[in-house]
Amino acid sequence: MPALGMAQDTGLIVSWLKQTGDAVKSGEALMEVETDKAVMEVESPADGFLTDVRAEAGQNVPVGQVIAIINDTANTSALSAPPAAEKPATVEQAPEGGSVIMPALGMAQDTGLIVAWHKSPGESVSVDDVLFEVETDKATMEVAAGHDGYIAALLAEAGQEVPVGDIVAVISKAKPDAPIRQAASLAPAAKPAPKELGPSPVPDAPKPDLNVPAMRTDAQPNGRILASPKARRLALEQGLDLSRLAEIGHPPPYHVSDLETLRTLPTPAAQTAASTQERRITARVPTSSFAEFLSWSRAEVNGDGPVPSHLMAAFASGSLRVANDLNRPIRITIEKFSGRTQQVVDADRFDASIQPEDQDDTPDLILRDMTCSAITSLGLGPSPVPVLSLVTDREAYEITLDFGIDQLSNQAAIALITGFADRLSDPTRQIL
Amino acid sequence: MMREITLSKAVNEAIAEEMRRDDTVFLLGEDVAEAGTPFKILSGLVEEFGTERIIDTPIAEPGFMGIAVGAAMTGSRPIVDLMFGDFLFLVMDQLCNQAAKTHYMSGGKLNVPLVLRTNMGATRRSAAQHSQSLHALVAHIPGLKVAMPSSAYEAKGLMKTAIRDNNPVVIFEDKLMYQDKAEVPEEEYLIPFGVANIKREGSDITLIGTSSMVQVAEKAAEILAGEGISAEVIDPRTIVPLDEDTLLKSVRKTSRAIVIDEGHQNYGVTAEIASRLTEKAFYHLDAPVVRMGAMDVPIPFSPALEDITVPTPQGVADMARKLCSGTMIHAA
Repeated sequence: MPALGMAQDTGLIVSWLKQTGDAVKSGEALMEVETDKAVMEVESPADGFLTDVRAEAGQNVPVGQVIAIINDTANTSALSAPPAAEKPATVEQAPEGGSVIMPALGMAQDTGLIVAWHKSPGESVSVDDVLFEVETDKATMEVAAGHDGYIAALLAEAGQEVPVGDIVAVISKAKPDAPIRQAASLAPAAKPAPKELGPSPVPDAPKPDLNVPAMRTDAQPNGRILASPKARRLALEQGLDLSRLAEIGHPPPYHVSDLETLRTLPTPAAQTAASTQERRITARVPTSSFAEFLSWSRAEVNGDGPVPSHLMAAFASGSLRVANDLNRPIRITIEKFSGRTQQVVDADRFDASIQPEDQDDTPDLILRDMTCSAITSLGLGPSPVPVLSLVTDREAYEITLDFGIDQLSNQAAIALITGFADRLSDPTRQIL
Repeated sequence: MMREITLSKAVNEAIAEEMRRDDTVFLLGEDVAEAGTPFKILSGLVEEFGTERIIDTPIAEPGFMGIAVGAAMTGSRPIVDLMFGDFLFLVMDQLCNQAAKTHYMSGGKLNVPLVLRTNMGATRRSAAQHSQSLHALVAHIPGLKVAMPSSAYEAKGLMKTAIRDNNPVVIFEDKLMYQDKAEVPEEEYLIPFGVANIKREGSDITLIGTSSMVQVAEKAAEILAGEGISAEVIDPRTIVPLDEDTLLKSVRKTSRAIVIDEGHQNYGVTAEIASRLTEKAFYHLDAPVVRMGAMDVPIPFSPALEDITVPTPQGVADMARKLCSGTMIHAA
């Protein structure tokens, strides 16, 4: 009885298509077998005569059991002869118990190569334990014992190729006195057993510890720089070192716009040379975005839009708040080209207020707005508070931050000017 | 000024013109002739061409699809009308195992010049079994071309090209766009497959949309323009073949892209296009390429839920804003 499915224990003989004594050819249908899934025709494995039919239609036959013999002659004397010429030579000697057959793991599989046994004779097994590994033409698979009990017999060696349906092991309920281990006698190994598997395929050998050295743990150090592919490429092309942004605490991930900040950083050599207390950072931003934003907001409120310098104060205030992580009120003094000054408190918040002229206090930052003038650069010397100056050549704003190291840390200064530049080039950031 | 006609009229004109030009062209499907025609698109055709060329079939999609494949193999140019894209599941074997593979498996001896006209698109309150956009299933199969018209102009030009193609073509029309009007020339024109259309030029981000998602992308671009973000909108017009060059050129320019398609996002058309852009324009990207498709749920009947299941202009604009401002959308 062949194994027609992967999880099949028995097959029901629906009908015999040949009678005892009939001549049959290899490939000719002998009988119909019903499994849990389908009814299939079983073909004759050889040319000859059908003799010694041992199961009738309607009988449910365990997989692997002999149901008939294909003989060279139609001579029914074979009936009286002991079934010596057939496979069960080994099975006959096998002890009582549940038998394990070579399963059909694929649809077009005739034999299976036993790669290794996972249990040895006498060992106890439970139904789901892996009993052996089988290699078919497609893959190597593990086969479960299928019965609880003890290994009473292993009837094939590792390395042997066994026909599908042949019994390869017997599992007994009671612990066997003399468990059997032997090679399959009727299925000569198509591939000789590999030497190392031959002598001791006993799988009791301790499994190799999986202490393979952990890979890549140090291939991704914590200091990894997060940057967009384009930012990385441009930095490489322009000889810029992205790690310097990380050093000054510029928040990642880095995009192309952050390369501007990187360019404004003093070179490491220049940094050591600078020993004065006064520091300066400059940045350039195209005027177009802010101009567009202004005209849009003017259109939104029918002509009377926000005062540009108040917006800039809001940007400066917001950038300073983020740069220094401040939660207290921030005072910004706006100095204009005309000489007028105005102090705004919390320009970046909804409750922003403009201070009356007589109540001016020491500001946190001076915003020197020279955008309505022809000035294109300025350096007005030390100031008690940081000064953010703005000039323009119509195409771009040039932003300069003058500060003393006692007023702002380098890191905060860079964050401040970057934040301001970003807001100016993308005013919706302030809203966000 | 050029006349404006609806997408349904454009499809009708394309089919009628090709049937007049080539008498091997015929059309078959459910209710296409005497029963009044699905979505009223084919009205007038049976009067002009008769019931021998405009054939009403029983409600048996696998049957009439199989008939069409056989007819195409033996010298006709059938147009199959599949009333809902959701019925594609019924014709998968005829379409994917037969029509798509016959040319290959016959060693080039047989052609299958067949057009399968069907539709897609949600927000019509048709519930989960009549609202799907299943073009990704078809686009996955080698041997099938997939056209996705985004307006009446595309619908006509792509349909005529499809009918003249010697290979099976599946055209997905958006159900919601049948009454949308667009300028369509009186004179004959064809739109070649594999040529994308740049609907709007921009410099900050590329929005790639298919079918009705082109409109969504255009509306998103309008919102973004008000915020100073310049979005380029591209309609690939056919997803098989795909005009990779135009898409890549745009993304290399803008460094950012969102791919918008009404099919489910998981394993979808957006994933395929985004993946190609990432592979071939990696060093030009300043932000991850983002996919926006229908949520991974059956399309709901509930109007409130259905409307948020598919991409919206506001949703696309929100995502574009994040990408352009350098916001990390998926923290490491």
